[in-house]
Order: sequence, then structure tokens, then C-alpha cells
Amino acid sequence: MSRGGRLQGALGYAVLGGLGLVVLFPFYWMTITSFKSEDQMRSLVSMFWPRPFATENYRQLLARTDFASWYRNSVVVAVSSTLLATAVGTIGAYALARLRFLGRGFMASATLITYLVPPSILFIPLYAQMRNLGLANSLGGLIAAYPSFTVPFVTWLLMGYFESIPEELEEAAMIDGATRFGAFYRIVLPLSAPGVLAAALYAFTQAWNEFLYALVFITDGRLRTLPVGLASFITGDVYGWGSLMSGAVLTTLPVIAAYIYLQKYMVEGLTAGGVKG
Amino acid sequence: MAVPAAELGTRAGLNGRAVGLRRLLGPDYRMGYLFVAPIAFFVLSLVGYPFCYAIYLSMTHKLVGLPPVFVGFENYIRLTGDGFFQRAVVNSFVFTFGSVGCKLVLGVVMALVLSSHIRWRSFWTGVLLIPWVAPTVVSALNFLWIFDGSLGVLNYLLVRVLHVLPQGVGWLSEPGTAMASVVAVNVWRGFPFFGISFLAGMKAIPAELYEAAAVDGAGALPRFRHVTVPGLKNIMIIVVLLSTIWTFNDFQIVYILTKGGPGGTTMVMPVLTYETAFGAQRLGEAIAVALYLLPALAVTIMVLARYMRKGRKR
Repeated sequence: MSRGGRLQGALGYAVLGGLGLVVLFPFYWMTITSFKSEDQMRSLVSMFWPRPFATENYRQLLARTDFASWYRNSVVVAVSSTLLATAVGTIGAYALARLRFLGRGFMASATLITYLVPPSILFIPLYAQMRNLGLANSLGGLIAAYPSFTVPFVTWLLMGYFESIPEELEEAAMIDGATRFGAFYRIVLPLSAPGVLAAALYAFTQAWNEFLYALVFITDGRLRTLPVGLASFITGDVYGWGSLMSGAVLTTLPVIAAYIYLQKYMVEGLTAGGVKG
Repeated sequence: MAVPAAELGTRAGLNGRAVGLRRLLGPDYRMGYLFVAPIAFFVLSLVGYPFCYAIYLSMTHKLVGLPPVFVGFENYIRLTGDGFFQRAVVNSFVFTFGSVGCKLVLGVVMALVLSSHIRWRSFWTGVLLIPWVAPTVVSALNFLWIFDGSLGVLNYLLVRVLHVLPQGVGWLSEPGTAMASVVAVNVWRGFPFFGISFLAGMKAIPAELYEAAAVDGAGALPRFRHVTVPGLKNIMIIVVLLSTIWTFNDFQIVYILTKGGPGGTTMVMPVLTYETAFGAQRLGEAIAVALYLLPALAVTIMVLARYMRKGRKR
């Protein structure tokens, strides 16, 4: 390698290292804070490594707050809205990508535009709607509202995925006697499993992370989801940073675990379906 | 059971009609409409209807629990002259363009580094993408703690470890630093999306173009300007417009870090919408805040949607 090349390489690693540090530091800080006692924090001792490790924050979090119910609420809401969005989005995306019928182009545009409409202009009328339906202040209201962003997103992502599968495969199956639905179910769907998985994972993360609707729709403290419950610590001002950070660690864990395990699909899904230039 | 002749006739008629329908609605219309119906239901009931209702509500005086009273454009006219609202508009633009600009630069840097000859590329990609997948609330709370004026680690590092500052700064509580701090958090969360999208776009640029440029004696910088940037143009437009919409409407980062304070220096439009609706309980006016820039948003969405569909049809 030439001297210029080696210099460039060193510069590349320096930039990577810098970005990596900035990206990871908040998570490192969150984790070690969650293992510090209130005294260690107040007196600014054992700043970068808790000595000794304290588990009192976690015990307090689980014993004295509604954290466990929030966790359960988040799981219920995120899982059910993910299943719903993935089912609806998969068949819809297939129709919009492959089937020939009047109004297809219009529906595809409408779905994409819906994906781009921001929640900040929808949350008040949606709240009014949920109240009229008797769904305000219930997990059902959130499960009903989350498809407003998960369905268009999953549909748009999978449309791109289905379009990238050669049409000849289906045509061959149909010549061999398969119905249109059979071709979709037996040929396209198995081939698209990685795309569907990536879409489902993103839908889950979006629902798991959602904040604004959950903040507005839910008034009962026990019915909160994790993001809103965690944020309520700072206004409540009772439990301190240690408990807050232990809650943050437990909230991040499932998302990061899924991400580490399925990173390949998620990165591919994002670049294949999200945007393509 | 014998089939009456009349019914046979209608069956033939039905078949003829089915052929006609197929010609009119397309060969796959049955499965098509069946499969699209659920999306149509969600789009209409969760976005279409609320959106129209929002436009109506923005033209009313609506207090929580009372029926709306139609007042036309009064809310919009009142907001136009309201100094606090004007400041929120300016803040929103500063927040958005400051964030998007930084994300664009960092995204290009990230993509360039990840596309060069490095080891463990997918490991690095995975690490740099973490802020994008981690829950935003968690990230915002992390930074709230890092920026904390008295016990925060940023001040500890700058004052006690590196000795670059004589005393700690209240990053989020002083008017001079609050906006820069919330922008920094938004950039931290959003730049990986720029980077990963640009990286995908760079992979799609044919290697021959770079080789041809190298044969012509073009150095690294001209190659970047004349090969990479034109090749990424479409994706850059898409990502910048997407991020502009998302950033302009970002609620949680600002809400958690400052709630619009201190003294309204970080009050952006989504937070003002929320405060007007659930603090002041004036729903009609709150929606008018959210919809005030609707024409600009609509134009952005139309342009963006066109680019996104064009990008797909390649």
C-alpha cells in the first residue's frame, strides 16, 4: 500500500473510532449509571466505573414503580400492532406491487403519502376519534392507532421487496396450474421471508418506541407504555437518575438484542426497501 | 334440483358482466381489491378522516369537553400576529435546518469511511446504526442526564478532566446553549440513517466510473465531486426531504430535553401544539399551530413522493 493510502486508512479508522465513541458513550453511561448508588452519583466518585456495583436501582424500579406493568403494556401493544401491520401490509404490498387492477397507482401513492404525514398533525383528531369510540385511556386505543404509521411503512418497504422478485417465477407456477393466490402463497411469500422479517422488526421498533400518541391517549398511570412511563420519572422527580437509567437499560435491551441478532436483515431491509436511488 | 332457464340466463349474463368488469377494473381486480381493502380501511380511518377533521377543528374554537364553534380563519389570523408563535416558527426552522445540515455532512462522512477499505465493515456499520434503532426516549433521557448542569458527565469531562472550561455549563437551561444541545441530540440520533442510505447509493455507482475518472488522472476530491455526488443526487434529495419532514415534526427530543424552554428559546411547533392543546386546553388553536405550514408540508410531501416512486421504478 502506498503512503497516501496508508494515511487515508489511518484517517478512516480515526473517524470510525471517533464516531463509534460518540455513538456508544451514551449507552455506556446509561448502563454504568444504572449500577451506581445515589451516594456515588451525588459525590461524583467512581465516575467511570461503579465501585461497588449497586443493584438497588433495579430492585427499587421493580418494587416501587409501575415499571413491570409498563413493560407488559409495551409488549402487548407492540406485538399486536406488529402482527396486524405485517399481515395487512404484506398482502397489500403484494397487490400494489404485482396485481393489475384499476386504482392501483392511486392506492400506492396514497399509501406512500400516508407514510409521510407526520403524527404531530394527527394526534389531536386521532385522540378525539378514540374518545368517541370509547378507546381513550386504553391499550386498545393505542393498538388501533399505531397502524396509522406501521401499515404504510410496512407496505412501502415490502412493495420494493416484491418488485425485486422476478415475475417469471410466478408466471411459471401459474402455467403449471397454480392459482394467483397459490403463486403468491407458495412462491413469493417464502422468497420474501427476510423482507417480511425486516419489515416486522421495524414495525415492532416503531411501536415499541412510540411516544406522542401514548403520552396523549393514556391518562391512567398504570396503563402507560415504557417510553411515557420512563419520561414520567423526570417530571415526577422522585426516583432519581439511577432508577431512571436502570429503566432505560431494560427498555433498550429487547430492541438492541433483536438488532444484534438480526442486524443483517435489518440493514438490508432498510437499504433495499426504505429508499433506493 | 333443476335449474330454471331464467337463472341460467342470468348466470351467462353474470359471466358476461364478469368479463366486462375484468376489462374495466383489470385482470386481477378481485384479489387486488380484497388485498388492498385493509390498507384502504386504515389509511382512510386513521389518516384521511382525522386529517380532514383536523382541518375543520383548526377553524373552530374548541375547548376540551365542549362542542366546537366555527370561526373560519380566526385561529390562523390570531397566530400570525402572535409573537410567541412567530418565535416558535423561527425556532422550528433553525432546529430543522441546523439538524439536517449536520446530519448531511456526518452522513456523507460515515458513508465515505464505510465504503473505503476497512476491516470489520459490517461490525462498524452495525455499531454506527445503533442510535437509529434505539428507543428515542431512552436516547433523549440519556442526554438529559449527560447534559445535567451539576452532576452531568459532560461538565465533569470538560471541567475536571480536560480543564477546558472553568466551571460547568447548564447546557439545557441556559438560552445560549439550549438550542445547540437539542440539535446535537437530534443529529446524534438521525445521522446513521443518512449514512446507511448514502452507503447503499454509493454501492450502486458503477466501479467503471471511478476507474475511468482515475485513468483521466482525477484525484480523490474531483472523483468525489464528479462521480460520487452526481451518483448520489437522487438519494440525497430523498433523504434530506424525508429528514426535513421528520425533524420539523420531531416532538419527543425537544419535549423531554427542554419542553421548549428556557424562556421559549427551544419552543418548536410540535411542542407548542401539544402545550396549546393539553396545557392551555385550546384544541382548535392547537391544530391551527400544527397545520399552519400545511401548504409547505404538502408541497414537500408531493415532491418527495415523486422522487421515492421514481427511485423505485429504476
